[in-house]
Amino acid sequence: MNIRIRIARFPVQGGKTFSEFQLVLEERMTVLDALFRVQREMDSSLGFRCACRVGMCGSCAVSINRIPRLACSTLVKSLDSATVTVEPLPNLPVIKDLAVSLAPFFELWKRALPAFRPRNKESQELARIPADTLFAQLAPGKRDCITCGACYSACTITRKSGRYLGPAAINRALLRLLDPRDAADSERLAVLDKEIEGVWRCHTQFNCTATCPRGINLTDSIVRIKRALLRRGRSFQA
Amino acid sequence: MTSPARVFLRKYRWRFSGMVAWVIQRVTGLLLLFYLFLHIHTVSKLAEGPEAFNQAMATFHSPLFKLLEIGLLGTVVLHAVNGIRITLIDLGIGVEKQRHLFWFLTVGIGILIFLAGAIPMFLFAVLKV
Amino acid sequence: MYRNAVKWYVQRITGGLLLFLLAAHFWVEHFMTAPARRGDLSYQVIAARVSNPLWQAIDISFLVVALYHGLNGFREIILDYDILGRRGVKVLTAALVLVGLVWAWWGITAFRHL
Repeated sequence: MNIRIRIARFPVQGGKTFSEFQLVLEERMTVLDALFRVQREMDSSLGFRCACRVGMCGSCAVSINRIPRLACSTLVKSLDSATVTVEPLPNLPVIKDLAVSLAPFFELWKRALPAFRPRNKESQELARIPADTLFAQLAPGKRDCITCGACYSACTITRKSGRYLGPAAINRALLRLLDPRDAADSERLAVLDKEIEGVWRCHTQFNCTATCPRGINLTDSIVRIKRALLRRGRSFQA
Repeated sequence: MTSPARVFLRKYRWRFSGMVAWVIQRVTGLLLLFYLFLHIHTVSKLAEGPEAFNQAMATFHSPLFKLLEIGLLGTVVLHAVNGIRITLIDLGIGVEKQRHLFWFLTVGIGILIFLAGAIPMFLFAVLKV
Repeated sequence: MYRNAVKWYVQRITGGLLLFLLAAHFWVEHFMTAPARRGDLSYQVIAARVSNPLWQAIDISFLVVALYHGLNGFREIILDYDILGRRGVKVLTAALVLVGLVWAWWGITAFRHL
């Protein structure tokens, strides 16, 4: 059977249009497969990003039927729709067609101080993380972020606010805050406590959690930090 | 295949109920703020004496306004119950089950409370039982 | 560092208070007395209750709590849109405080002849 695929086009010179194509729906065809078919057989000027094709790198995040998703991991059949509309991720500047610049996303990412800052750089011993600590329990669920930008694009607060850090950045900050080997708690909490940039902008609409292709509960990360701030701690206690 | 709108509602109402709740909270909040303005405007007529006040109140006796009042009750109940849900989520309760919290608490319990108030209001004030 | 945490608490606490105050207000205006149940809320009926200073105090407290919760909620919405710089936020806050004071005064003076 056929499907109709509508792809947003943002040519380099400006403007926005949609290109439409008819494709034969093949078994297990992903949206990325469809984009390749269009580019190779129908319109070689189509621009889009991908790399690993297996849901690990986050490069192919696009808006599919108005929801940010990974194109390589979305089966066309699962969309249950005769028309598939592919657009670039919202909230980010478009370079060409489906390729966006993640620069604003990473600017905010950096502001949350995502890099690990060891307590003791000179230490020669292995750090021991017992399995019953909060870090050991939560980290596996929080560290899988592939910085695809889907959560940032799904959030309606980032849509209007250029300064709100966004779910991915805050989630990474939580991972560091939970880490007993990391020493930058108070610096990070100071950033996260800001009224416009920080966690207080989150109103728990859960769009981020709904779209995260890695299944991270981002809203949970954000409210954990809220709770830490409510408990008036200078050091983080989840 | 069915229309995109229908599929969207069927597939995603469960996934995006959090966003619906957010919109509801914002809209009901603004409506209530506006209502508060109107309400104080009417109550301030108390200072102008019986005639002025009673005349202002007379506009609210029609069945239309009684129905609007029932609508107001609904707005308040939605905002209040959803507010409780949001506070629970901020405190870590229901973060994994936020959609259930929306449908069962905000919508389910909300409807029950609404009916508990709306039915007597409707019977006494609109139908004048 | 703690100011935003305090604001979070106050918004929830005023919300909770409003739940209680609003339910009580609803009961008073629609169920407490026979005229109320009939839907008769004329000047005489209202004045009979509000001339009691205890009721005045309750009503005024209710108004102040509602104004804080509502105007703070409004402020949060404006902050979400990130259209103001740091000074703009201070101006907004001052403006909302002023609006709140005027609004409260408007409500309080409703009782001046009772």
